[in-house]
Amino acid sequence: MKLSVPMPVKMVLLVLGTTAFYMYLGQIVPQKEEHPPPPVLISDDMTTEDLVEIGRELAEGKGQCLAACHNIGSSGPSRYPDLGGIGERAATTIEGLSDIEYLAQSLYEPSAYVVPGYEDGMQPMNEPPISLSDDEIRAVVAWLQSLGSTPTVTLETELGY
Amino acid sequence: MSRNKILFGIGVLAFVSVIVTVRLGGFLVDNEYRQPERQVAVEEATGEAEATPRQQGIADEQAADEAEARARPYVEAEYRAVPFVGSRVTVWVLAQLHLLFAAFVLAVPIFAFIIEFIGYVTGEKRYDRLAYEFTKLLSVSFSMTATFGAFLTFALIILYPKFTNYLMHIFSPTFLPYVLLFFLEALFLYSYYYGWGKFGPKMHLFLGFMLNVVGTAIMFIANAWLTFMMSPGKREDVDGDGIPDFVSAVSESGALLSLRDAFFNFTWMPINIHRIIANVAFGGSIAAAYAAFRYLQARNDEDRAHFDWMGYVGNFVAIIAFLPLPFAGYYLAAEIYAFSQTLGVQMMGGTFSWLFVLQAALIGNLFLGANYYLWLGMGRIEGTAHFHRFIKWLLIAIALCFAVWATPRYAIASVSEIAAMGGSSHPQLSYLGQMSAKNTAVNILILSTYMSFLLYRRTGKTSIHPQRQLLARTQVIIFAAAAALVIFFGVFGYHQSVDAATRIRFAIPQVYSVLAAMVAITVIDLPLYRNARQTGETQWGRMPAVSQYALIFIALSFTWLMGLMGYVRSGLRQEWHVYGVVLDTSPDAYTPTLGFATQIVSVTVLIFFGLIGVVFWLSSLSGKKAWEPKSAVEADRLGEGHAA
Repeated sequence: MKLSVPMPVKMVLLVLGTTAFYMYLGQIVPQKEEHPPPPVLISDDMTTEDLVEIGRELAEGKGQCLAACHNIGSSGPSRYPDLGGIGERAATTIEGLSDIEYLAQSLYEPSAYVVPGYEDGMQPMNEPPISLSDDEIRAVVAWLQSLGSTPTVTLETELGY
Repeated sequence: MSRNKILFGIGVLAFVSVIVTVRLGGFLVDNEYRQPERQVAVEEATGEAEATPRQQGIADEQAADEAEARARPYVEAEYRAVPFVGSRVTVWVLAQLHLLFAAFVLAVPIFAFIIEFIGYVTGEKRYDRLAYEFTKLLSVSFSMTATFGAFLTFALIILYPKFTNYLMHIFSPTFLPYVLLFFLEALFLYSYYYGWGKFGPKMHLFLGFMLNVVGTAIMFIANAWLTFMMSPGKREDVDGDGIPDFVSAVSESGALLSLRDAFFNFTWMPINIHRIIANVAFGGSIAAAYAAFRYLQARNDEDRAHFDWMGYVGNFVAIIAFLPLPFAGYYLAAEIYAFSQTLGVQMMGGTFSWLFVLQAALIGNLFLGANYYLWLGMGRIEGTAHFHRFIKWLLIAIALCFAVWATPRYAIASVSEIAAMGGSSHPQLSYLGQMSAKNTAVNILILSTYMSFLLYRRTGKTSIHPQRQLLARTQVIIFAAAAALVIFFGVFGYHQSVDAATRIRFAIPQVYSVLAAMVAITVIDLPLYRNARQTGETQWGRMPAVSQYALIFIALSFTWLMGLMGYVRSGLRQEWHVYGVVLDTSPDAYTPTLGFATQIVSVTVLIFFGLIGVVFWLSSLSGKKAWEPKSAVEADRLGEGHAA
């Protein structure tokens, strides 16, 4: 005898089955909960080496796009210029600007100079929603300097902004 | 005894049982034990019955609570919690249900009006009946939209009072127009529905037109509220250097600077465009699901033929609207990028990158489902065997595009996986995750689906145009040229001489070549098949049942897709209520896992389908015959009753 499933039952099974399938797809992809970045404490006695470490944390956390938008020494596709060796290039990119001044300008006023071949669009790091403080930007500059050069930034360094 | 009487008896018995239980409980509490001798002594001394220990305990607790309430100072609540479920999930589900019903209520009048207009111009009554059948779904859905809208508003006021108050500070001047428009929408909707056949055709079409105008205006206002939360300002070249600057609509403290800039904010128009198109696609798919439901219920050939046609038209509307939707989506995404690179990267390359893999799976299923339905539809028409050989090639093209679109650029990976790949992106496959590959895939998908429509349109017809061979070859050349251009720009985008900005701009010629090809092929096809010789009649109502389940599957996938994309649009803000202005400080100020989000989306979809099932059932009642007594005895009895 042929078993006949009533139409409403088939419909319910289709709705439940399809929904369960899509929900299952959602369970098998990597799961990651994104929490707001933890506050970074910068104390007056921090050395340049400390600032480099803090800058790296900020680039991966509160700085958001810094690490996600740029490659660092790898050749994969990237929206913005590779940061590998930026510490070395920064001193000679714009005539008249030191490496610190150039890096500070890139963070406070990114539209002022756009590397040829790339589009303008990076957000100022001192404005919402990123809102890095001046000291946090000093730390990020120190970290950027460390990518290909010797960092020199301290908490007393004047960034010009 | 009839089944109905037994069910009625069980209901009465259950009701009486509940009443008896409540009364019995009350009796036992009221007759709590009291010591007889003490009772008499207290009554004699005070003239009142002594409180039992239980009553005394309750009175003490009440007094303590009251004292505590009086001592507690008033504090303005920022957030309130919902036990077990949580505030965010509550608002999430309510907002999504409101949006799904609202999308349906806004979409159906658009194509009901167009179909009615076609019927008016051609004079064919079947179009009028079809438009009315679509409109029948609106009445209950409109009530559902309003109910969930009110529910959502109360939930926001109760659960997020401070944030809701802030939105009121910004947008209070828009509330009165919104309410007035809502009132007008109700007026036009009900006069359009109940006035069917009661007004002249021009007057009725005017009502339908006004319903659409008012409905769209309502959506535009509501879109301003939600897009403000994502982009609270506009971009304008303030300093004249040719580079757009961000002009915030609010001060750093959040005070309103310009209602105009808050309303016409950066992502307002992209969302408007995206929502209109998506609503039509979604509404078409739900209407097609209703037709499928009625088709499967139909007991005669006439109804089967009617609902088969209705399902076909609903699906046609859904897919025609769906074809430009990826372009509208890319436009919206590009505008989000232009507004904030952080938001853009978060969307496509960060936390949400895997969400777009799910989106690709859903869209791939939608294209597959739509094409499958069309291919099955060829069975309605005699003499279609020679078209079947194209189906496998279309299927291969769709499957390949599906795979490319489902490839993410960046992946959330473990440390060992990142080490093995040499970075967070795969050295080879990540190229397929770039816009060049994705634009190519979506354009070929659209071309393939368009070809399925074209094949379906030609089934059962032979052109008698004198230049038919030339025209048909021209169509093939246009199609091949469009496909070649799309693939060329897709591949050339990876050449080392092409920078990132140029590569992204290649999407424009790709889109234009596909749109131009579809327009040109359609323009040629119209005269080519005008007055074509019929080699086989379309036999509506001859579709296998599986085709109707395919329509329901498409509607489900659309609904799920809307839920998922609603999540990403809202989730992008991360820990911000209003991006960069109002920080979320509630316990829910984090982005949940994708697995959790898909569970919420699934629950919402199931609730929606449960409710839309009720809408379908209620709508189907209007087509049923009036109730009649089952037997002559019953008829006589009722007749006597009436006479008495």
